[in-house]
Amino acid sequence: MKQKHLRLVAVGLIAAGLITIALGFSAQTAAAQSPLHPTFALLDADGEHVLETGNPVSTTNTCGQCHDTEFIASHNYHNDVGFSSLTEAGTTASGRSWDTSGGLFGKWDPITYRYLTPAGDHLADLSTEEWIQTYGLRHAGGGPADDAGVEINCFLCHLINPDNDSRIAALEASDFEWASTATLLDSEVVSISDGEYQWNEAAFDPQGEVLPAVIGIHDPTDDNCGLCHGTVHTEPETPLAISGCEDTGYTTSTTGQVITAQRIDDTGMNIQNKNELGFAWDVHIERRVECVDCHYSLNNPVYTSGSGSFSLEHLDYDPRRVELGEYIVQPMHDFARGESAQSTVSPETKGTIRRCEGCHNVENSHDWLPYIDTHMNAMLCESCHIPQIYNAATQQVDWTVVELDGTSQTACRGVEGDTGTINDLVTGYEPVLIQRQNLDGTLKLAPYNLITSWFWVHGEPERPVRLQDLEAVFLDGESYAADVVVFFDADGSGEIEAGELNLDTEEKAAFVAAKLEKLGLSSPRISAEVQPYSISHNVIEGQLATAECTACHSDESRVTQPIQLASYVPGDVIPVFVQDSNTLNHGDIYLEEDGSLYYQPDPQAEGMYVFGHDKVAWVDWFGAILFLGVLGGISTHGGIRVWYSIKRPQPKHKTKKIDIYTLYERIWHWLQTLSITILAFTGLIIHRPEMFGLFDFNGVVLVHNIVAGTLAVNAALALFYNLVSGDIQRFMPEPKGFFNQMMMQAKFYLGGIFKGEEHPFEKTRVKRLNVLQKITYLGILNVLLPLQGLTGILMWGVSRWPEYALKLGGLPFLAPFHTLVAWSFVSFIVAHVYLTTTGHTPMAGIKSMFVGWDEVEIHSGSHEEEE
Amino acid sequence: MKIKFPTWLTVVGGTLALLIIPLIIFLPKAEASSKDPWAGVPEAEPHTDHTNLISGELETGQDVTRACLECHSDAGTEVMQTAHWTWESEPVTLPGRDEPVTIGKKNQINNFCIGIQGNWSSCTTCHIGYGWDDAEYFETATDEDVDCLVCHDQSGAYAKGINGNPLEGSDLLSAAKSVARPTRQNCGSCHFNGGGGNAVKHGDLDESLYWPSASIDVHMGEHDFQCIDCHQTADHNISGRSISVSVDNENQIYCTNCHSTDLHEDSRLNAHTDTVACQTCHIPQFAVEDPTKMEWDWSTAGQDIGDDPHTYLKIKGSFVYESNVQPQYMWYNGTADRYILGDTIDPDEVTAINQPLGDINDSTSLIFPFKVHEATQIYDVNYDYLIQPKTVGEGGYWVEFDWQLAAELGAEFTGLPYSGEYGWTQTVMYWPTTHMVQPTHEALQCVDCHGENGRLDWEALGYPGDPIDWGGRTTFFEN
Repeated sequence: MKQKHLRLVAVGLIAAGLITIALGFSAQTAAAQSPLHPTFALLDADGEHVLETGNPVSTTNTCGQCHDTEFIASHNYHNDVGFSSLTEAGTTASGRSWDTSGGLFGKWDPITYRYLTPAGDHLADLSTEEWIQTYGLRHAGGGPADDAGVEINCFLCHLINPDNDSRIAALEASDFEWASTATLLDSEVVSISDGEYQWNEAAFDPQGEVLPAVIGIHDPTDDNCGLCHGTVHTEPETPLAISGCEDTGYTTSTTGQVITAQRIDDTGMNIQNKNELGFAWDVHIERRVECVDCHYSLNNPVYTSGSGSFSLEHLDYDPRRVELGEYIVQPMHDFARGESAQSTVSPETKGTIRRCEGCHNVENSHDWLPYIDTHMNAMLCESCHIPQIYNAATQQVDWTVVELDGTSQTACRGVEGDTGTINDLVTGYEPVLIQRQNLDGTLKLAPYNLITSWFWVHGEPERPVRLQDLEAVFLDGESYAADVVVFFDADGSGEIEAGELNLDTEEKAAFVAAKLEKLGLSSPRISAEVQPYSISHNVIEGQLATAECTACHSDESRVTQPIQLASYVPGDVIPVFVQDSNTLNHGDIYLEEDGSLYYQPDPQAEGMYVFGHDKVAWVDWFGAILFLGVLGGISTHGGIRVWYSIKRPQPKHKTKKIDIYTLYERIWHWLQTLSITILAFTGLIIHRPEMFGLFDFNGVVLVHNIVAGTLAVNAALALFYNLVSGDIQRFMPEPKGFFNQMMMQAKFYLGGIFKGEEHPFEKTRVKRLNVLQKITYLGILNVLLPLQGLTGILMWGVSRWPEYALKLGGLPFLAPFHTLVAWSFVSFIVAHVYLTTTGHTPMAGIKSMFVGWDEVEIHSGSHEEEE
Repeated sequence: MKIKFPTWLTVVGGTLALLIIPLIIFLPKAEASSKDPWAGVPEAEPHTDHTNLISGELETGQDVTRACLECHSDAGTEVMQTAHWTWESEPVTLPGRDEPVTIGKKNQINNFCIGIQGNWSSCTTCHIGYGWDDAEYFETATDEDVDCLVCHDQSGAYAKGINGNPLEGSDLLSAAKSVARPTRQNCGSCHFNGGGGNAVKHGDLDESLYWPSASIDVHMGEHDFQCIDCHQTADHNISGRSISVSVDNENQIYCTNCHSTDLHEDSRLNAHTDTVACQTCHIPQFAVEDPTKMEWDWSTAGQDIGDDPHTYLKIKGSFVYESNVQPQYMWYNGTADRYILGDTIDPDEVTAINQPLGDINDSTSLIFPFKVHEATQIYDVNYDYLIQPKTVGEGGYWVEFDWQLAAELGAEFTGLPYSGEYGWTQTVMYWPTTHMVQPTHEALQCVDCHGENGRLDWEALGYPGDPIDWGGRTTFFEN
């Protein structure tokens, strides 16, 4: 009953607020305090006013005066972080034998290393309390922390100026029930002196409600999200300054992504070629899209597309949805999210985000892009629209050793220099493109950072060596243990300097293992894993996206561009990809000569065929052999002819001049000649663009397509001409005496021609093709040309009618086939040109195709009739 | 003999034509893009070298001018028609007034050095004439008093002194031989120093523009424009104006004289040009390098507390200088109201000397960036109008440090009675920001105006809220 009453009040308040806005009395931008939020009293855990009791504020009771906080807590992976899905150690998707959930509470992160001890373990790393102290800085309260007194911290996300530092300090000091109160310390409402929190009466009105000027409540802004997620920089006038590899929050450290509208050249960072980077770091932020515009509450009626959890195919808009008032009482705090590789909490909410296509019209904005559908089916927008991260990101985490301050040996990619100051040169990095297994069953390329971690594990079932044990091995108080110094101090300086602390020899690894065993850990061994981190932010403006076809469609393709995993391999242990990421990882992990480790994706092995990059090798080999074979054949044949002609003078045959080709035939012929030559040449460039850097790939493709069109029209018209005029018969071998004639012609080419014998058949206008030529032309015109045209049209039309191309095997079949036919064509042309030199003089054939007449041998006893 | 056309030519020609024609038809046409910054600027005629044309003794400025007039006989009378000479506008009708008024340095005041009447000897240093030292000057001056050299000298051997006469030591013969098209040095010698020093008056005109980098001014820095490439001139009438003295919208120069309004690749940006002046986005800050004067408090003058030209001078009072200043944004239709000497004020309110006109409902208005100069200046407590004190010369404040005397003497020149009691009141002047255009990639971005930390106060501009949410003035108000 009480709940219903409150709901009415809330709806009334909202209605009043909306009317106020509509009347134009008050119009607020999203900037400051919510225009609707009423003043409210701060209540403690017993529902009493904090001013009366002096107790810590209870968010559940305070915010629960209007909002259904119980509902909020139950739809909320930010609070739950895996708590509700805790399971037996070793049974989660990660396959790690010590993971107990898919969230921050229970899933191990090798970067932060500390882990929640599974129930029943005799070696304890983190208890729940210690987990709060350690990971509370990235946890919004509630869930696993509820029992310890850490409530859902509404203030952290909804206050204009939350005091996150004090909140974290309170958690670290086990001041759990004061954590929410500590978040208010930046306001006048509460202060702290000598560790005692003091509520300030002056901050409340006579009714005991906090004055609106004291606590500003609003929808979460990017700044609120940034408190836990990474670097958010919203001050346009203050240059962003991140130094090299510094820890800048979870998402920024793991991927380099920064949420800011600032132009890269306006930052205070030492970024390579900075002056040329006059564009916003993140175009969405620059165009005023905020975090919650995409990561909206899943029942927010403004954003969600319908009432149900599924969308109806026949409806673009479903008006049946939660009323605004209902939403404000029961706002889901599960937020729309993508399908990242690293986040496995609350799997049922994955893929709920409105993806790029949900807002952007792909067709309208990509009309320049050939094969739109093919591209969109093969890759996520991010692959081209986040071509580069202009920041450093973690690359490798080495826990096989430990630093004096209890941290791992960590190194970043995208930065040169190791001073750790702003002077290090930030080179940024190109994310690696890896195929993602989407929830809808598709596979698409997406950009990732890869972080590789090495760490000691022990026992069975396996557990990571606890930080305290690792420290016991390496450290002796404030310095390295004496035996460690002896072992690791390569230069004999008596100290372990940067670069010396790593397990680069078997002896060192065995030494550490022995020390771990001495601590009672059984069979200590080094394990290593690669974790992909999705990159979906820091989209840059459209014109700057990857648009050069050869970026992917060439030998040096982005899709197989390797990424460094580590600069060295601790203990020679080659890492494996984690089991619970949604990526395909069939590429190669390989060592370079300098000892660094790389990963090269292999999408072809995963069933993806990338035009221009992937080649069916035998096609080129076969084609080249065919071509060279023909070339070799005609060279031999020609050589023998020349040799004979020198050795013994050729008899002169009686010739006569006849008109042999009509004007149309000549133009037709030369047009085909030129078209095929251009097609072969441009085709070669398209096939091997990296060998012809001089040419503009897109332009060459266009020329290829246009000339193919010309050739097709020319061929079609010729068919018509030949049919109508009846000339088509000239191409038809006559069945009568066919075999004999063929043998005679072959015999002539293989023998008589050298001796200068007469051609076996007299050439006339009607019978200008000998029987061998007829067979060849039949093959060319009826098989090769149509095949080449068909495969070409289908390749050109893949984006228009992909279904037809798919029926014929899609591009992976069509493209190599087209190449194969092209080789045959080229080989034919070589032979064809050579055969034109077999007339009464070597150049006579070519000349006749220009002028139309030829001198042909007059055979005695010819039965051919002149036309 | 009949010459037979060889058939093989037909074959070759026909084949090539059939091949090339489809290519010409289907290959995309190269876009004729005119990114040439000089495309909109008429080519200047080469200037005649005057080295050998001028000779003889040149004792005074007038001697030089006479030499000029020998060939350019109309030049003097042309100059005398222009505001550069008259320091006074044609009569204009201001809102709320029956009678047209004339406005200029000659007869009105500002909130810097206030007014020139009685202070000529100092102020007319920057007048393009010789010898302006009293109110009767224009009755006696002739075309021989026009100062050709200040605009045309390229020798660097010429400078102006008291009353606009050549500074002692100027080499008039060298100067006269060197004359050519005016350069930044000619214009800048006065316009960069308005208000009594570098960068005092305009936030967007200062000595950094003599040799600016592209990041100060893209036209002058990157493309090497001279002032008069934009300030096109006919018959010595130089185009361009500022609402400190020229409140009508005549003789204006627009970005669109050279640039198209829909030149942005993004149509959303082009949609802005109906409501936002080019300058608003393309001049994100003024006073990019040299700090400009933002506040001037005359009331603290007269103390011996140590002079620093950027914070305090005994003769002028205290100042606030700022650099890289974010402009203030207002609707502006190109015209302004003007405080006319003798207008009564409310001394408790801030008096606008030249309030820009325009508002959201005026479709000719655009959101425009301004430097706003605030001053505390002297006024007559009983008559409630601003006083133009005598500052320069005998009895002037800069000599005697006596406001009472300065006000009395000033009244003799302006003819505006002084009650005998003075006080201090606040005034503002608006300076449209139009120089120091930044390179494209420095222009404002969406979030600079839209969103949480935006620099525009939408409600003050008359919008119900951020137009990215509420729609612009055309979409929102017409719905």
